[in-house]
Amino acid sequence: MMQTPAPEQQPDRPGTAHPWSYWQGWPSLAKWGGVVLLFLIYFPLFWLALMSFSEHPLSGIPLPFTLKHYAALFDDTRWLKPFGASLSIALLVGAISAVVATGVGRVLPKTGSPGRVLVLCLLPLFVPGMSMGAALFIFLRSVLGVKLGFGSILAGHFVWAFPFALLIVLVLTTRFDHRLVEASSDLGASSWQTFWRIEFPLLRPAIIGAGLFGFLLSFNEILRTIFLRGTETTMPVYNWTMAASQQSQVPIIFALATILLAVTLPLLGGAFWLLYARMDKD
Amino acid sequence: MMMTVNSLSIPAHPANRSFSRFVANGDWVIPVFLVVWFALVVVPLVVLFAFSFFDTKSYMTIYEPSLNTWMSLLESGRLGVTLRSLRIALTVTLIDLVIAFPFALWLAKGRTSKSTRAIVIALLTIPFFLDISSRTIIWRAILGENGAINSLLKSLGLIDAPLNWMLYTEWSVHFGMVIASFPTMVLPIYLAISIIDDALIEASGDLGASPAQTLFRVIVPLALPGVIAGVLLTLGFALAAWIEPSMLGGGFVNLLSNSVESAFTALRYPVVAALSTFVIVLLVALLFILLLLTRRFSDVLSAFRVLKN
Repeated sequence: MMQTPAPEQQPDRPGTAHPWSYWQGWPSLAKWGGVVLLFLIYFPLFWLALMSFSEHPLSGIPLPFTLKHYAALFDDTRWLKPFGASLSIALLVGAISAVVATGVGRVLPKTGSPGRVLVLCLLPLFVPGMSMGAALFIFLRSVLGVKLGFGSILAGHFVWAFPFALLIVLVLTTRFDHRLVEASSDLGASSWQTFWRIEFPLLRPAIIGAGLFGFLLSFNEILRTIFLRGTETTMPVYNWTMAASQQSQVPIIFALATILLAVTLPLLGGAFWLLYARMDKD
Repeated sequence: MMMTVNSLSIPAHPANRSFSRFVANGDWVIPVFLVVWFALVVVPLVVLFAFSFFDTKSYMTIYEPSLNTWMSLLESGRLGVTLRSLRIALTVTLIDLVIAFPFALWLAKGRTSKSTRAIVIALLTIPFFLDISSRTIIWRAILGENGAINSLLKSLGLIDAPLNWMLYTEWSVHFGMVIASFPTMVLPIYLAISIIDDALIEASGDLGASPAQTLFRVIVPLALPGVIAGVLLTLGFALAAWIEPSMLGGGFVNLLSNSVESAFTALRYPVVAALSTFVIVLLVALLFILLLLTRRFSDVLSAFRVLKN
């Protein structure tokens, strides 16, 4: 795109950091392209929070500020039930994902063909949410005749959250030093003691991370839930139907989403702190 | 899970010792897990595929194999929707790839500090955990006729009438989807690039390769597994996008998800199955095309090595 002056001289010149680029501008163009998209991801969150305090949330001007949408939110109790459903499903999905990912993740690196099992475990990541939701819906409803609701949402969310949880646990278990386990049993510890006193504390950051990610993935899941909800309504489905059907409900949705962000973002910050500060020590 | 709890409460009882060793040893976990996982993931997908060969008559599913449902996908109305979904999904994937690959390269090999990398990766991962519908609906207040951008431009005197191509058009659907799927494109490419040995890149330069040669003959082939994963993930997302077209398209941009939704509410489950299978079949076909095209560049199996690392 850009003609470069005398590219042959560049490798010798001090400060040419990138052996893959002629033009000095490429790296910063690459950087700013991504930065603009990151801005476009996060600006709506900021704007959402700002407009939730606005008198006219769907207008272009945030002023004047008001708390009336928050007042309206607390007068309106319809969102409490979906909120409770989402919370309990997410807690269960987080706990189940953490336990199962730990169980599978600590054995998987020791087995003969971890690759094949891993591909199978990661399969749901590559199946679009709509297709996976439809598949589980048809299987549970039309083939097994299960009544859809809490349980089917739980199953759908587990399938979605588990690959992430497993990857997080595998980060630690693939680097796990098995001489620790041998030393522990040589010194007379039972296998349960070895697990509980040696392995578990070492894996704890990953287990907590897996649980947190499972919780958050489930709490905000919508595509699979649309198919699997039956008569149940979760928080994202409630937000979606309210936002899609009634313009008058949108300000309340803004307020609600802002509160959820205020809870979710610190949790995520904590999860990443765990991942980077605690797991990346070596 | 229950067994774990039991053995925790009675750890040292002699009769339970072998049992607790059995639990802690964990060799049984993978077979048991695989059975459950098959029932939850593989069997439903097979059933989905099978259902697409059934038919619907007066809100009832007819369990006889037929190609009627698949043929109906080629009918005039649906074919337009399918082609439009494909076109939009490919455009979105291409735009994402063009922005994501240089960004991932900069992030992984651009002399960025460790904390910059950690923060950017965190920023790219966080959106996966946020509610997509409230993140998308807010664009209506930004792009709309009376939204933030139009108000700003009007008060600056740059426009007299509000720009109304920004919302409820194909443009806004593209826009929303490119933003939403950007992290799914960057992260796999970043993973693949970051495990390339710096020595290889330096050696290429030392041996006289031009920067373009180093980029296209060393970095790109080694990053291919990540690029393929990113393209598949983004394309899968874009083909089955549900929230963005319905919220930013305002009913004017019908995609596959709208067809699935109307078939779902009309209890035409074979149509739901065929459309969902169609998305998966497209992805698998694309995977094979990409693998064939890239076979001469790189070892396919290294994709799994990327995942393992």
